[in-house]
Amino acid sequence: MTEVFEDQVCPFCGCLCDDIRLEVENGKVVKNDNGCAISKAKFLNHHDDRIESPTVKKSAVSLDDAIDKAVEILASAKRPLIYGLSSTENDAHREAYKIAETLGGVVDNTSSVCHGPTILGVQESGEAAGSLAEVKNRADTIIYWGSNPQFAHPRHLSRYVRVQGEYIKDAKADRKIWVFDIRKTISANVADEFVKLAPGGDLELIGALRAIVRGHPLDVEEAGGVSIEKITEIAEALKGTKYGILFFGLGLTQSKGRHRNIDAAIRLVQDLNAYTKWNMMPMRGHFNVAGANKTSTWQTGYPFAVDYAKGYPRYQPGEYTAVDMLVNKEADVMLNIAADPAAHFPRAAIRHMSTIPVINIDPKRNMTSLLAEVNIPVALSGIECDGSAVRMDGLPLYLRKVVDPPDGVLPDRDVLKMIHTKLRKVVK
Amino acid sequence: MNDVGVEVVLTSGRTLKQGQTMELGKLNQKYFEAVAICEVDKSTLEALGLEEGEPVKVKTATGSVVVACKLDRRAEPGIAFMPCGPWANAVLDSDTIESGMPRFKDMDAKLIAAKGEKVPSAEDLLKAIVEVP
Ligand code: SF4
Repeated sequence: MTEVFEDQVCPFCGCLCDDIRLEVENGKVVKNDNGCAISKAKFLNHHDDRIESPTVKKSAVSLDDAIDKAVEILASAKRPLIYGLSSTENDAHREAYKIAETLGGVVDNTSSVCHGPTILGVQESGEAAGSLAEVKNRADTIIYWGSNPQFAHPRHLSRYVRVQGEYIKDAKADRKIWVFDIRKTISANVADEFVKLAPGGDLELIGALRAIVRGHPLDVEEAGGVSIEKITEIAEALKGTKYGILFFGLGLTQSKGRHRNIDAAIRLVQDLNAYTKWNMMPMRGHFNVAGANKTSTWQTGYPFAVDYAKGYPRYQPGEYTAVDMLVNKEADVMLNIAADPAAHFPRAAIRHMSTIPVINIDPKRNMTSLLAEVNIPVALSGIECDGSAVRMDGLPLYLRKVVDPPDGVLPDRDVLKMIHTKLRKVVK
Repeated sequence: MNDVGVEVVLTSGRTLKQGQTMELGKLNQKYFEAVAICEVDKSTLEALGLEEGEPVKVKTATGSVVVACKLDRRAEPGIAFMPCGPWANAVLDSDTIESGMPRFKDMDAKLIAAKGEKVPSAEDLLKAIVEVP
């Protein structure tokens, strides 16, 4: 029998497209309409390449035994690091923060290696925020800066930009798309204007744009690899907009300058608001990394890089962030949930991970599962269990369950709750 | 060893294939083919004397990794691109300059033709990283 699910949310990227139509047969998703190529790959292959059983030191064990081992390791840790959270739903996050508090450990999410600098920039200069619906209905100037949506968020353009909106009658004629990047990406190909900047030249270019927007002439020929003539032309175009949106990606947060780039971009948007309406939005990658920042802030007071060693939460990016905790050889145990740090961290961090016990909670096999002492398979959020997640513009959306997880496999939140319940009995 | 190569700025990021194949599994052959690569322009390939698909060594101050080279028709000389993932991260500088964020973009790198060398699988790469004394 074929079961049909309409308007399912896609749990892959920060767009959280909520118009996916799925067909399910015999406990498997067999058809995905509306989803992009990545969404199709995710739903149609949800049963492939799974961690088949809980394991301790590569030997299959029962779920209870794996949880006991995880509790034993965590209880004996002096400086535990709890990390991940961006590819699971909000309720699982709560349990992770409880574990961090009970243990007096550090809890960080994957935003420390994606939009952490965005948060630092916002804390410095304020948040210019708007919704994606506003973009669709009003934006006549769209910038993608250091972001390649055609690859990383394949439906972003078709759902919010190259589409008709309330005040945008002709998506092609009434909107202008700019791409700022160091290389001509596939998104640059579909843009109306491509501005190629020098590698690491973002901060300089934004600074020059700000100066010119504010009416200060610059006595140089170029800034950030772009001629002053071109920068003047861009500044005039941005000021002449009715509603502008600056979408930015990791090209801005991960390059030279990091949070200083974001700080400057926010100030540019503030400057432009003296003339017209401008907003900005980070292109969030993992489907619930924005949720991890929200839940962390709700429960600990801080969006990432939180340390409970003193019994109360403290915040220090650069110190309690996962890469630093590992590279500085501080963490002596790592509990990883819904992320793959062994595939995405620099080698010095991975090397330290290989010297400490790692407890890995994830549905699928990956580099971290190869390295972990304890692996606990879990259900895929938004496919095999429900929950809520937060879209890149801050909108919470409900993820539905469409198929059952494999036998005996529980959602992250249940596994984490079991760990926490047992931990509380052994940790003072 | 012959260390003559082409100096580039190395950057990393997502690709559609990287996103699609990671959902097939990170230890899957298709993910390996989509991610263990370095994209360069035509003149860089020619300077290296490599055909598309042949191995190239990507070397930075942090280390080196062998991947398959790939032609990017839109690319210009001076910039090389690797999809984000284990191979790109193997040469990434871990210094976060107190921000939590390593520098995944704009790294100084050198590309060296590596004909005859093997592109390591995810498992082999992990082994090579953790087994360094
Ligand atoms: S754009 Fe993102 S959220 Fe939308 S269908 Fe594609 S992967 Fe899923």
